[in-house]
Amino acid sequence: MKQLSAIPGLPPLLATAGLLAAWEIAARAFDISGLPPAHEALRELPTILTDKESLLNILDSIRRMAIGFALALCFAAPVGLMMGRSRFVAAFFNPLLMIIYPVPKAALMPIIMLWLGVGDASKTLVIFLGVSLPVIYHSYQGARAVEEKMLWSAAAMGMGRAARLARIVFPAALPEIVVGIRTGLVLALITMVTSEMIARKQGVGDILFNALAMAQYDTVYATIIIIGALGFIIDVGFERLRAHMVAWAEPAHEIAVGSA
Amino acid sequence: MTARRTAELAVGILPIALVLALWQGIVASGIAPPVLLPAPGAVFARLVEQVGNSQFLQNAAITLYRLFAGFSIAAVVGVTLGLAATGSKAVESIVKPLVRVLAPLPKVALYPAMILTLGFDDASKIALVAADAVFPILLATWQGTAAVEPKLVWSARAAGTTPRAALFKIVLMAALPSVLTGCRISLIISCIVVFLAEMITSSDGLGYLMVRAARNFETVDMFVPLISISILGLTLNAAFNALRGWLLRGFAEEG
Repeated sequence: MKQLSAIPGLPPLLATAGLLAAWEIAARAFDISGLPPAHEALRELPTILTDKESLLNILDSIRRMAIGFALALCFAAPVGLMMGRSRFVAAFFNPLLMIIYPVPKAALMPIIMLWLGVGDASKTLVIFLGVSLPVIYHSYQGARAVEEKMLWSAAAMGMGRAARLARIVFPAALPEIVVGIRTGLVLALITMVTSEMIARKQGVGDILFNALAMAQYDTVYATIIIIGALGFIIDVGFERLRAHMVAWAEPAHEIAVGSA
Repeated sequence: MTARRTAELAVGILPIALVLALWQGIVASGIAPPVLLPAPGAVFARLVEQVGNSQFLQNAAITLYRLFAGFSIAAVVGVTLGLAATGSKAVESIVKPLVRVLAPLPKVALYPAMILTLGFDDASKIALVAADAVFPILLATWQGTAAVEPKLVWSARAAGTTPRAALFKIVLMAALPSVLTGCRISLIISCIVVFLAEMITSSDGLGYLMVRAARNFETVDMFVPLISISILGLTLNAAFNALRGWLLRGFAEEG
């Protein structure tokens, strides 16, 4: 077992294979029309990935996700850092954030659609909202934990407030911010899929429920595999990037969890 | 309450008041017609009215039932697997890669599959809530129990406790703060997920009330379920914190 798990990437691969095998066995054992065997769903994968319309739909979803995510990062990280460094800013934002925290962000979709229409703007805004909270929270925690001595030294050497925030607080809080970004990435994907399921106009979530309505169960399951793979790839890809960017810090949480 | 805390509280109320004032201002100025944005007063009046409405309460009760059913399943499964992963290397070698693959997967994507296998009723919604809520509890239990001082277990073993009993009586109890933190995160997640599941497909529950209002362009009624679920989340969070404080009396305060 030890030699096996020492090969990087092998355990998740085995786990995936195990899950697919369990699915195949369950489908054969129960034999219900709502659960086609795994191989039929897998056979459907190339059809979806080569179909121009679904591919455009998926790419569209990813583009919206990227824009919403990038905007959230530019907004949330500075807010979180300022909250961590100033008691006043923290006291100002904390109650508001606490109230917003249990609101299902994707559930705002129908209201936002009333104002901004069904286009890209509403979906991007919902993703922005979903990603902002974890990034603010982790930047706040990271900035709060910065060693005061470093800031005093910098101030004594004549560094201004803004420069201290950018050149000392930001790098010191970076490992924690990165944890927030990772949670935010997973959340961006969840919010994207959920909002598309609720709005049902375009995107991956729409493909899912269209196929469900038309009883194309293979397509339903194949799309689920695509979304799952997307989540895994984003998470692993980011973990690689993190190890490169903040190699000096150990990750606080090995696996990101979150929900829209 | 010290003067400083009072001052901080006052500062904190400011942005909430600002949001409400801005909302009222937009409505009063007539930029947005009431069809698009109802006045805050109208929304809260409707909320108070609905709290006395038996049909609304029935829908809220259905949502609560699904929420707690899913959360309970997640708590039992999460704590059991987390504890087992700490207690046995064999379980860990199976659970670890499975969690690695399943945790970053957007669980909501599995919802259509749950509908197909479990039907459109309660079961598929409860399954989705459980799937989303299980990972924070599992990870918190796992990390918490793995960090328990081995000396505590050795002492118990030396005093004649069996390995299994030591796992429950010593390791789980010592990791309780971490386990409960995971449960609190999952409780809020359950709240959010149950509402979304009801919005996606349902014929009852708070989420359904919102979708129905959206279909009929009853804007005021769209805000009411949304505010209800947020208040529910905040209340559950506060109640759980109180429970946690009571359960953890005697534990050293953690930062």
